[in-house]
Amino acid sequence: MNETPQSSRSVLFLAVPALILLLPFAYSLVAYVAGADTAAARPFLEKPDPKYRNCVRETAYMRFHHWELLRTVREEVVRQGKPSETGLKQCKNCHTSRERFCNQCHNAVTLNPDCFGCHYYP
Amino acid sequence: MDRREFLTAGGGLLLAGAAGTYAVRLLTQAGAVEAVTAGRHRWGMVVDLRKCRPDCTACLEACRLENNTASVGDARWDVHWIRKVHVKPKNGGAERSVVLLCNHCDHPPCAQVCPVQATYKRADGIVIVDHHRCIGCRYCMIACPYNARYFNFKESEEWPNKEFPKRSHGVAESCTLCAHLLDVGKKPACVQACERAQAGALVVGDLNDPQSEISRLVSENSVKRLREDLGTEPKVYYIGL
Repeated sequence: MNETPQSSRSVLFLAVPALILLLPFAYSLVAYVAGADTAAARPFLEKPDPKYRNCVRETAYMRFHHWELLRTVREEVVRQGKPSETGLKQCKNCHTSRERFCNQCHNAVTLNPDCFGCHYYP
Repeated sequence: MDRREFLTAGGGLLLAGAAGTYAVRLLTQAGAVEAVTAGRHRWGMVVDLRKCRPDCTACLEACRLENNTASVGDARWDVHWIRKVHVKPKNGGAERSVVLLCNHCDHPPCAQVCPVQATYKRADGIVIVDHHRCIGCRYCMIACPYNARYFNFKESEEWPNKEFPKRSHGVAESCTLCAHLLDVGKKPACVQACERAQAGALVVGDLNDPQSEISRLVSENSVKRLREDLGTEPKVYYIGL
């Protein structure tokens, strides 16, 4: 046979970057097959004691906007001096454990809110 | 009338109208502000140095335990919202200790220079820092004539009072006159500690209230404030300085 023509070796310049770009998708495929999306692997948020029935807002709102609520309350309480019942201090009255509630989702998405560096939440 | 007269008359009318509206707003605003502050507190403090014992550290300890101030044992990084300075009069006399803390001035230089308005004066006269907004530039520390502001170099490792937040590294902090206690009707930690130590040298009260103990003390005694020449209008009065 003749020597390897240049064109077939230059395929590598396309093949290698394509493989590298496909790596994240391959990883998530392997993780899915290994069971990353099952109910056991999803974050499990501990429900508060049933005797506390006065939820602050409905779950769908809190799931997406609890940080907005906390920020608004922070502005009102700190700068405007209005007392509030839905601030970070009151969360722990019902949701008693940060590890079993807040950190479940925060750890799953590697989110690190710096509130807890100053505000105590067990 | 011709065009020039018309324009002059129109311009004069416009100016008069604008000035009149502004004057009316100014006058009614002053009344509104007075009506609002008439019901408000104006917190101040009286320090009676005759009653302060030089060797007592009750207020210092109480402040640290209440407010979680950093205290690692190193003078470079320790924060002292309240501190005692020992002075010996040049003309003779016993050595005394003077209690120094944020004076919660009515014209606070720290609030004036803060570039982000993190330090501000509340309506009840307490000068307080919003640590969410503070960027740690330390301009307020330069501006304070009483050296009452500190920078948080190292967070305190202990957390003696879990009900109160501790400040994280990188913000400027200073005495809050225990605003979180005053807001619920309690006395600041240093005042309580001084009473428990049987000295009663620190008194915090409402300067707006003529019946309060602090108003009585200020009117009956010969009180002095620190650096009154600067015009900051501090609200900490000293007896026996």
